[in-house]
Amino acid sequence: MRFASFLPIPTYLAGQRAWSGNTVSMSSALLPKPQMRRLLARRMKFHLFGAFLVSLGCAALYKFGVAEPRKRAYAEFYKNYDPMKDFEAMRAAGVFESAPPK
Amino acid sequence: MANHSQLGFQDASSPIMEELVEFHDHALMVALAICSLVLYLLTLMLMEKLSSNTVDAQEVELIWTILPAIVLVLLALPSLQILYMMDEIDEPDLTLKAIGHQWYWTYEYTDFKDLSFDSYMTPTTDLPLGHFRLLEVDHRIVIPMESPIRVIITADDVLHSWAVPALGVKTDAIPGRLNQTSFITTRPGVFYGQCSEICGANHSYMPIVVESTPLKHFEAWSSLLSS
Repeated sequence: MRFASFLPIPTYLAGQRAWSGNTVSMSSALLPKPQMRRLLARRMKFHLFGAFLVSLGCAALYKFGVAEPRKRAYAEFYKNYDPMKDFEAMRAAGVFESAPPK
Repeated sequence: MANHSQLGFQDASSPIMEELVEFHDHALMVALAICSLVLYLLTLMLMEKLSSNTVDAQEVELIWTILPAIVLVLLALPSLQILYMMDEIDEPDLTLKAIGHQWYWTYEYTDFKDLSFDSYMTPTTDLPLGHFRLLEVDHRIVIPMESPIRVIITADDVLHSWAVPALGVKTDAIPGRLNQTSFITTRPGVFYGQCSEICGANHSYMPIVVESTPLKHFEAWSSLLSS
């Protein structure tokens, strides 16, 4: 019985059955005392850390999913860009009013 | 010009606009970080996982004062850098005057030749096939590409604003005042803009169209027009 540890059980009763049928024993292991203080502080610290991780994760996702690909796209576009060739293609398509197609 | 379902900026066609697009990505990243943090904490609070009867929290007060200050500095530094970059006007090759009227623009090229013309919106009934409704004009501005252009903007009657999003330009046209802006187009093309300051009934119907062409074609065009 759990409560046996609180009761002053005489030694001659050790090992004998009590009337309820349960064995009274002094050798049962005691449960460790659970943490009873600073539970909220622990939860808040965990979630605050988690919130910053989520926030930095979102920022990193945007940076490497949108911003960096956009910078690379601009760099790629201008790496081998030929303005005259682009102009001639647009001119042939009739885009310009000041430079009609030949 | 923008597509119908476009959410982002038009493709940048000037160095300043490229910087602005990059800065916008940076600012949006910061905004996303802050919003996700707030949303996470709000969700926790609504699920009652963060209730507290704390009345004194000096440490967390310090953190949520210092961190926002750092975030503001991270936003301000690139913003000021671009602001000063926009004010650099380096020996422009051409100066163009844009005068806002109700409800059309007048452009003057007075550097080399005395060239001046009005630019009215093309009515939808007269629009050729393939042209853009409410964006086309009868006389477009033509400028040489890859050259620094200075635009001096004013108005004749009420406030207007000369804006071309693809070039990163928007400057108010104020009667009695000359405002100056400059840009360089990195590539040839046709760039559209619209009046950006409410100016009366036809405020939405005075667009701006800029054609950026090689210097040779610009010279041919200006000679043709001034003759």
